[in-house]
Amino acid sequence: MQFNPKTYRLDNTASLGRAFLLIGILGLAIGCVGLITDPVRFFRSYLVAEVFWISLGIGALFFVLMHHLTGSVWSVVVRRIPEAMTATLMIMAVAFIPVLIGLHDLYPWSHPEAATEHAIAAKSSYLNPPFFIFRTVIYFGAMIWMAGALHRASLRQDRESHGDHQRISRSISARSVVPFAFICSFAAFDWLMSLTPSWYSTIFGVAFFCGAAVGALSLITLTAIFLHHRGVLKREITGEHYYDLGKLIFAFVIMWTYMSFSQYMLIWYANIPEEVAWYQQRSGSWLPLSLLLPVGHFIVPFVALMAQSAKRNLTVLTLVSLWLLVVHWLNLYWYVLPNFSRTIDLSWMDAALTVGLGGLFIWWFWRRLTAQALIPVGDPHLEESVNFVSEY
Amino acid sequence: MNHTDQHDTLVLGAPSLHQVSEDISHITERKTPRWWYIAITLSGSMMLVLIGMIGWLFYKGIGIWGNNTPVGWAFDITNFVFWVGIGHAGTLISAVLYLLRQRWRTSINRFAEAMTLFAVICAGIWPTIHTGRPWYDYWLLPYPNQMGMWPQFRSPLNWDVFAVGTYFTVSLLFWYTGLIPDLATLRDRAKGRIRQIVLGIFALGWRGSQKQWKHWELAYLILAGIATPLVLSVHSVVSTDFATSIIPGWHSTIFPPYFVAGAIFSGFAMVLTLIIPARKIFGMEKYITLNHFDKMAKVILLTGMMVSFAYLIEIFIAWYSGNPYERFTFLNRAAGPYTWGFWIMITCNVVVPQTLWFRKLRRSIPYLFVISLLVNVGMWFERFNIIVTSLHRDFLPSSWGMFRPTIFDLGMLAGSFGLFLTLFLIFLRFLPMISISEVKKLAFEEQEHERNAHPRATPEIGRSS
Repeated sequence: MQFNPKTYRLDNTASLGRAFLLIGILGLAIGCVGLITDPVRFFRSYLVAEVFWISLGIGALFFVLMHHLTGSVWSVVVRRIPEAMTATLMIMAVAFIPVLIGLHDLYPWSHPEAATEHAIAAKSSYLNPPFFIFRTVIYFGAMIWMAGALHRASLRQDRESHGDHQRISRSISARSVVPFAFICSFAAFDWLMSLTPSWYSTIFGVAFFCGAAVGALSLITLTAIFLHHRGVLKREITGEHYYDLGKLIFAFVIMWTYMSFSQYMLIWYANIPEEVAWYQQRSGSWLPLSLLLPVGHFIVPFVALMAQSAKRNLTVLTLVSLWLLVVHWLNLYWYVLPNFSRTIDLSWMDAALTVGLGGLFIWWFWRRLTAQALIPVGDPHLEESVNFVSEY
Repeated sequence: MNHTDQHDTLVLGAPSLHQVSEDISHITERKTPRWWYIAITLSGSMMLVLIGMIGWLFYKGIGIWGNNTPVGWAFDITNFVFWVGIGHAGTLISAVLYLLRQRWRTSINRFAEAMTLFAVICAGIWPTIHTGRPWYDYWLLPYPNQMGMWPQFRSPLNWDVFAVGTYFTVSLLFWYTGLIPDLATLRDRAKGRIRQIVLGIFALGWRGSQKQWKHWELAYLILAGIATPLVLSVHSVVSTDFATSIIPGWHSTIFPPYFVAGAIFSGFAMVLTLIIPARKIFGMEKYITLNHFDKMAKVILLTGMMVSFAYLIEIFIAWYSGNPYERFTFLNRAAGPYTWGFWIMITCNVVVPQTLWFRKLRRSIPYLFVISLLVNVGMWFERFNIIVTSLHRDFLPSSWGMFRPTIFDLGMLAGSFGLFLTLFLIFLRFLPMISISEVKKLAFEEQEHERNAHPRATPEIGRSS
């Protein structure tokens, strides 16, 4: 791997990409053994892994949208990383097909006999396999379009000195942000909330979105630090940028907590049977994990990132980001598995499939990241962004 | 250097630093203009209506309102939530936008913070008098007493006491901390002895030394950090007054963030309603520019869409729940006896703000003034809609009923506007409505930037590079 400071590109990166592809294929191959030995459990693990990696793409898309809408300058130097991450939505769209194959094993509403239950019958015009597939196609199609349009505009900006690419990107983002908000919520309703079809919570989609943003920001930070340790972009991405990334992680950790706590507290307080059942599924054997989430997803990163110096310290940021990716995964696991099992149910397939899909995700992410300049060299605010100093 | 738009100038005409002090202080120093007496007479009369009606209410009891079984909460709690919501823009502008390094907040933060305080005062009236026996209101506070009586800590109504109390305290401290350097400026300019002494006391011995500025900036940053969670917490707690219940239309997990977005939405609208005439009357066009209006309009558009998002998600989940009572509540809102309230809300909060997608309209001051009024009408009806329509037809048709406001409901709502405007007029007359010290910093930085861009221009303000 070699950095070319003239073009801001990395050369000879294919071997690392191939390594990730190999990990991906191996992981999936091992995971597929489970498809034969225990297909029902396989689909559960697969759903967790799939939604985990999709959520990082969704969070990255949010970062890019907000970057253009707010016209931020500091984030110009890191923008290429989330842009390349959003490209993985394409891979993850294809990787969603096994979930559709496992629809009957995952979603109780997909069985015709479920329609006899009143709570499910009442929503059968929404929760049925054809409409579910149709919606999933729309979600992916729309997000891939948004991500692609913004990525292409960004790359055009590198090549052409003329043309108002910023204005174009801003207008794409402005038109995308409303559909994006609905896609986030409804995707969470469809893929995760409907696993227990009688349960509902209006805030669920927003809580999912905040978790996705935490995950994506962590991966963006880790990627920047990885490049930093390889001596790449050391002068461009400075402590000031890490400081802002750290602040964003801190803010979204709090937002996730706020949304998740609102959901829990209101359901606990009102104690309505069909709502509280969802939390009862997560007590008993699941209780340790249920208690780990507020500690791991809130208290630990909150304390760790509180100090200004911590957000500028790459070791702290690396540890917190890695930790947050783990708890984000645990959060999704906690959304999915208790719907099926009364006891904690970890399987080797969870690890194999998460690593497998992760290999594919990182392979494609890395490929896209290294296929272009690592910073948007044509951006008129690039210099300002490199020299950016945070006032406070 | 945080924002690509920052080159849109925020202080027009490159005034000198002395000119900034002069322009802003002058309002508080000159002879009281005639219009001010007329305005305060009008708002004061409205305030007297409120005070008179409260007196009557204490004498007769809250039966003078239209509240009755099944609608036990109506205008009173609607007004409470409405006024608390108005207050949110102040803290958002002063704290959150400060942390987000939005420099345009500088010209409007003082104004918005004052508005916050007055709005919270207006809000506080309603739960206080709604208890029916306001002379026992101190029972809401937890203190050891010989009766061995404690408030019910599990009641969201009690959380309100703490949330609103904390909010008012921190907002007041934040506002006052920001005022100190400006009070010192006024003190140094003061002619009369009494004025010098009074301002001298409130300026806390400010001398403007470098050390004082350093401490002041740190204190301001810390207060901004403390105030930021309050932007979210207060209206979240207010929303739990409803959301912890099991009433369809009240119990919804999205309520906390949805209420916060709505509060900021209505608060920004109220900032516009007040700042548009004030800017004109006091000739503040130099400091509050079209760029400021453009950005405030964007915040209104954004928060308006968040509110619309919550409406749609709520309606969808009411259907998705399969619960016939949930479904009925939303149908009843849209097509029941209070249908007009629902559609006023949808028109004002969902449809009208969409016009702010157009830059031309975001920069049209008369248009923004109309929008700001409509948004506040819409947000008042949103609370009315949530509170009254959920109560008046619940699970059993035999317990259904209607709420009709009495003259006291209407008079006290109008009177609370009188109180709000009276306090605001007093603020405008006696305190600098724009932060002098912060605008000076902004003006200096902009002029510095301009000079760096055109190095041949001769510097007007000292400090070599």
